[in-house]
Amino acid sequence: MTSLDVDPSEILERYNVKMEKAMTPDDAAAELYPKDDLIRPIAEAIYEGEEDDTVEGLQKAIDAGKDPIALIDDALMVGMGVVTKLYDEGIIFLPNVMMSADAMLDGIDFCKSQAKEAPVSKGKIVCHVAEGDVHDIGKSIVSALLRANGFDVVDLGRDVPVDEVIEAVKKEKPMMVTGTALMTTTMYAFKAVNDRLLEAGIKIPYQCGGGAVNQDFVSTYELGVYGEEAADAPKMAEAILAGADLGKLKEQFHQH
Amino acid sequence: MTVNRYTKMAYASADDMIFGKSPNPVKAGLDLEIGAGYTTPEVNYAPRPEAGETKEKLVKEYERITRDIMERMVQVGFPAVVLETEHVQQMTNNPTWGGEVANAQKAIMEDYHDEYGIKCALRHTPGDIREDRDYMQLRGEKYNTLMESFEEVASNGADLLSIETMGGKEVFDRAILRNDVPGMLFAIGCLGTMDMEYIWQDIAGIAKKNNVVAAGDTDCAQANTAMFIAGGLLDKNLAHTLAIIARAISAPRSLAAYEAGAVGPGKDCGYENTIVKSIAGVPIAQEGKTSTCAHSDVMGNLVMQCCDLWSNESVEYHGEFGGTTVQCWSESLAYDCALMNVSLQTGQSKNLRDMMVLSDKYRDPQGYILAYDNAYKIGEAIVKDSDDIYLRAKNAAVECVNLLENADPKLQMTRFEKNALADASKALAGLTDDSDKFLSDSLEQYKKEVKVFRPENYGL
Repeated sequence: MTSLDVDPSEILERYNVKMEKAMTPDDAAAELYPKDDLIRPIAEAIYEGEEDDTVEGLQKAIDAGKDPIALIDDALMVGMGVVTKLYDEGIIFLPNVMMSADAMLDGIDFCKSQAKEAPVSKGKIVCHVAEGDVHDIGKSIVSALLRANGFDVVDLGRDVPVDEVIEAVKKEKPMMVTGTALMTTTMYAFKAVNDRLLEAGIKIPYQCGGGAVNQDFVSTYELGVYGEEAADAPKMAEAILAGADLGKLKEQFHQH
Repeated sequence: MTVNRYTKMAYASADDMIFGKSPNPVKAGLDLEIGAGYTTPEVNYAPRPEAGETKEKLVKEYERITRDIMERMVQVGFPAVVLETEHVQQMTNNPTWGGEVANAQKAIMEDYHDEYGIKCALRHTPGDIREDRDYMQLRGEKYNTLMESFEEVASNGADLLSIETMGGKEVFDRAILRNDVPGMLFAIGCLGTMDMEYIWQDIAGIAKKNNVVAAGDTDCAQANTAMFIAGGLLDKNLAHTLAIIARAISAPRSLAAYEAGAVGPGKDCGYENTIVKSIAGVPIAQEGKTSTCAHSDVMGNLVMQCCDLWSNESVEYHGEFGGTTVQCWSESLAYDCALMNVSLQTGQSKNLRDMMVLSDKYRDPQGYILAYDNAYKIGEAIVKDSDDIYLRAKNAAVECVNLLENADPKLQMTRFEKNALADASKALAGLTDDSDKFLSDSLEQYKKEVKVFRPENYGL
């Protein structure tokens, strides 16, 4: 290099360093774990994203007389609650959430296999990637976050024809549909889905986001609510459960 | 075509690397020479979605785009320009569409060249259509359609052939969301490289047959996915230290295009290109502050450091106050190039390069590693084991981690970034040096973990 040099503090600011929380993620999680000796190891295993430890903890709790279905809400969801709280507060990052979600889903499957009756879901959501678009990492994140927050997800996959989305909505009767797209050229399928839903008399929130999708575009069709971040999906679903209609959702999530 | 590995660096020292000059410049199109002592703007664009309804509408749209750019270049007195047409899927899936677009664009460019003498070239980048709804289909029927697309554009006016291949992406998408560094190595360093070698030998063959240039690739599908997920300073989706490890691993993968017959210029969004240039000495396109129309960037000035073409990534064609988008962005790019070219002519280029680097070197770990002095060190780590695609990718990752662990204190990192780095370092230290073992273990693991992973896509 030439002899040029700078004092970076005069030309840039590392706001992430400046704003980083003093508490470590593990310390923050420790403050949030439940006290119950049987439940705490399960919540810890979820936080750590350890599938085997999660199932082992559940087995011990069941052996001690806990109801497997009740454990979904009382242990797995509690552990996931710790994870989502820390993620929302910026203390942990997305990969931690994804690994926790993997452990949570294994835990739910185990609980179901040990029970006679099926658990009650918070609500059903249909997820898809726009027709013509095969980029599905955004949809995978959305669907994992929704499942981790206790919603029942019908994942239609990528490059989903409009007809197939409409059929799935008619069959599954979800509380919300999500659509993701990377490309501006494929996001127009969202408008077609919107029109076909309205034609069928179905008026449910249609959360759209990803890649080149923006709020201006999503605002052009009636059912569209723009999701800027994948983490908006569970927040939007919770808002619907709390009674928010389309107008309220747009008010809350349309930030630009 | 055969695969020839790079066993040494193209430059004697990192300080020799500079924008506008490459050890192996490339002649292309209408009197243009890339990397021969001057930088050139490369304008990228996307048609309005409704233009894709029919072939006729699409051709008209690209004619408007091409004419607008060429007109603005001569109106403001710029000597050279490259246009890049990244295909919308209809153009690659229907190879004659791409051919007709290339033909129409080139006719306009030839008119401007004949009239004004402006140097110019046309790059076409077919889409990587090698997948269906459920699985990647890297070597099936869609491969043939893709090659037909290259053949059509090459025989109808495209001067530079590129693509953004997606080999390894199905494994990478899972690995990156789980901080899985060995998975990233397998996906980008091994699977990505295998696919690159396979496809670029054929693209180079088509280029040779049509007397055009096999330009290069980018790890957009993987390293850029990591960079975009990592996002800005306050985003909480991925440690930026992991994103730059993915980028370091992508360098030997993108290098594979040149080992299989490509000659440059590499694609604009390949932020790994400075590392690639240090090894292959090929000219490169880059994008940064002038691609904010497409995405934000934490190293917008720094990436100009060694560019030969300077790009805006992509902008949808529509009107702005200052003209159409392609006119506004091409003019910005061309003024940046004018400044770089003045510095080359006045002997000030290294100062300008270093000012651009110092603008962003300490802004983020990604800029720190991609600064040409560190990029060069990654290059050296790669050529050390050039014949082994696993080891050279691992070397790149290890060197990246070493550079960050021993970084200049001016680079401040969060505890989170440091922890992610420490975890990555530990994962890398636990890896075998036996390529066969790594490949067979990874194959077994990801066949189980990634339902859509099909080894036959890679000849495995």
